[in-house]
Amino acid sequence: MLGMLFSILIFPGLLFVSVFGLSVEYIDRKIYARLQNRLGPPWFQPVADLIKLLAKEDIIPKAANQNMFKLAPLFALTAVVTAFLYIPLWNKESLFSFNGDIIVVLYLLTIPTLAFFIGGWYSTSLYARIGSVRSLTQLFAYEVPLFMGILSSALLAGSWSLKEIINFYAGHNWFWFFNLLGFAITLVSFLGKLEKTPFDIPEAETEVVAGSFTEYSGRLFAFLRLTLDVEMVVGSALLAAVFLPFGFSLPPVFAFVLFMIKILFIVSLISLLRTIVARLRMDQMIDFCWKFMVPLAFLQILINLIIKGIILR
Amino acid sequence: MSLVKKIVTWARIKSPWILHFNTGACNACDIEIIAALTPRYDLERFGIILKGTPRHADILVCSGPVTSQIKDRLIRIYEQMPEPKFVVAVGTCACSGGVFDGCYNVESGINAVIPVSAYIPGCPASPKAIIDGVVKLLTSLEEKEEAIKR
Repeated sequence: MLGMLFSILIFPGLLFVSVFGLSVEYIDRKIYARLQNRLGPPWFQPVADLIKLLAKEDIIPKAANQNMFKLAPLFALTAVVTAFLYIPLWNKESLFSFNGDIIVVLYLLTIPTLAFFIGGWYSTSLYARIGSVRSLTQLFAYEVPLFMGILSSALLAGSWSLKEIINFYAGHNWFWFFNLLGFAITLVSFLGKLEKTPFDIPEAETEVVAGSFTEYSGRLFAFLRLTLDVEMVVGSALLAAVFLPFGFSLPPVFAFVLFMIKILFIVSLISLLRTIVARLRMDQMIDFCWKFMVPLAFLQILINLIIKGIILR
Repeated sequence: MSLVKKIVTWARIKSPWILHFNTGACNACDIEIIAALTPRYDLERFGIILKGTPRHADILVCSGPVTSQIKDRLIRIYEQMPEPKFVVAVGTCACSGGVFDGCYNVESGINAVIPVSAYIPGCPASPKAIIDGVVKLLTSLEEKEEAIKR
């Protein structure tokens, strides 16, 4: 019981994932700044931002629905921190592994988007409402290639549990190489989930102020920012576990360090992508997702089915 | 308790988010403020980020004399910001009303309407002067905390 509480609250739960999320935010911002040929923020910047926001006044608009407005950020943060518990960090099995946990992680990663929608909608500000409707519209575009990309890897392994998938790729060395197309698709759709630059239409500063976060201030906004950081960690960890499934048979410490390096590699890919591209319009984004990403995801599934039918028979 | 207060003050000084508001300027000060935010001066070094909404901002950067048209809006924006909040007046017009002081449609400088923490003179104030003014405001905050402690 005590051990379970420790793993939920401290390691690898809330405390560890928050600290790791903040450091990932620093790395993301630093890479972004260096690629723009500037110095970038100092190492303590995300921590200072978080403490400052926690100590600021909480304003709740009179017209807003009090409960929904307050609960949405907490729901979002809880969902992403819970999702992290199902990802294997230092061996082939996560702490609470069961058959179908990959679906649970994907489902828990969808909740923050819905929470942003609910929080933005019930804050009754016009900008927040436009932003939240945009984030929901976007959800229907990137979610399909994201699920197809991740599940194509599971299809090759023939299982919906992360443990079985990692076991399969440990038995079939270099088979993860066939999934590189799926990896690219998932990475790009994941930018939409994180609301990062090519797909940051919901919180486009030049159009809708700050999207669904417009009315949030103080502590609640701090939770929302932390949610986005942790979501980045969880998503990168899921991608690392599914698409780069090697090195889990090493001794736990080395496997853990290797896994962290993999996460940081995926985070730097995300920062690189968000630096080199500009924001799309909503219709362009939906066109891009349905016309290019979904057919490519089908191609990936086809490749995996052919490999499964010919090589693995 | 004092340690917590110290950490909070440190965080506030290290992460000032600003909101830029034109209260009736001729656009010269606005161009200089935007220039100060470009990668050339890289204000993210000091943790300064430009925010779109008053709910996220700590410092309201105003430029220009307060016209009677903008007065109510300025007060409303100021009241929408969460505590603790500070106001910086950029440019001669924002400091005192400048050449527009006494016009039939102008209410003097920013401090005629809302309390101002720092004044940055200049017509227009150069980006370096703006950065210097904001850094001086932040150091004065630190000194104020020290004075309260003593």
